[in-house]
Amino acid sequence: MSGTAVGPGAVSALQAALAAEHAAVYGYGVAGAYLDGPAETTATAYWNAHQVARDTLEAMLRQAGAQPVAAAPAYQLPHKVDGPASATALAVLLENRVTAAYLGVVAVTDPAVRQFGARAMATAAGRAATWRGRTVAFPGFPRGAFGNG
Amino acid sequence: MADRTRRGVLAAAASLPLLAVSGCKGVGALAPPPRPGPDVIVLRAAIAAEEAMIARYGTAIARFPGLAKTLTGLRAEHRLHLAELRTRLVIPSGSPYRSGFASPSPRPAGAPGAAAALPAGQAAALDFLQTAEDSAAAALLRGLAAVPPSLAQLLASVAASESTHVAVLRSAAG
Repeated sequence: MSGTAVGPGAVSALQAALAAEHAAVYGYGVAGAYLDGPAETTATAYWNAHQVARDTLEAMLRQAGAQPVAAAPAYQLPHKVDGPASATALAVLLENRVTAAYLGVVAVTDPAVRQFGARAMATAAGRAATWRGRTVAFPGFPRGAFGNG
Repeated sequence: MADRTRRGVLAAAASLPLLAVSGCKGVGALAPPPRPGPDVIVLRAAIAAEEAMIARYGTAIARFPGLAKTLTGLRAEHRLHLAELRTRLVIPSGSPYRSGFASPSPRPAGAPGAAAALPAGQAAALDFLQTAEDSAAAALLRGLAAVPPSLAQLLASVAASESTHVAVLRSAAG
């Protein structure tokens, strides 16, 4: 994908996805500290995956002549993280936000970018389902967007 | 609710202006009916795929009671997919394409007569369902380029959901 030229219309959607990946990298750093055993292993693998995704997005944006958005020095956590349950809840939230950001990438008309966004959505939705312990009908959309989601 | 209505503005309406034009010209009315656009074709295929998937789950649920809870949950998500996809397909009344798809009372998936073929044996059936989910998701991704952004988002979301089903089926298979 990094070999694909990206049009200007795709830049803002990719920047939003990059911002979500930056937040995920930060958030997993926090969540991972409160997880152990298999959950910690999973968190570490997903943390790495988000760093790879971040690097991919940065490369795509640079190739499009855009300056990739930088990570914030710190992020406001959506809730207090002080144990495995709240750490897992944070991971679900991070993945939901990443999925939603890639949903924005799917709205881009460039077919290759759209395809890239859809694949990234599926990956993030899979990670969210792992943490959540169940699947949802419409990953990326707000809960209840379509009757029952 | 207003938002929902806006989203419902859909693909098949693309054939409306053509119908209207042919209605205004006497001779034009004899012209061949407009063909459904590529977005309508993709949407119809997505709807048919969901119906087939629901039927497969119906067969599996009846045959493997031990898996009923897991499979019923996955089928419920397919039913939501199907319902939402159908709202995107509005066929103008009088359209020659009205019959045969997107009818308000579709053939009941999973009902007698709609039983889907499934390999015998639980392991083989779960494997088959995994492949079916995977193929359905891949087909949706192939259709993305042909549809407008809001439908592309729905199809991508449905594909993502189906991808997560593969993992659930894999762990059910043990």
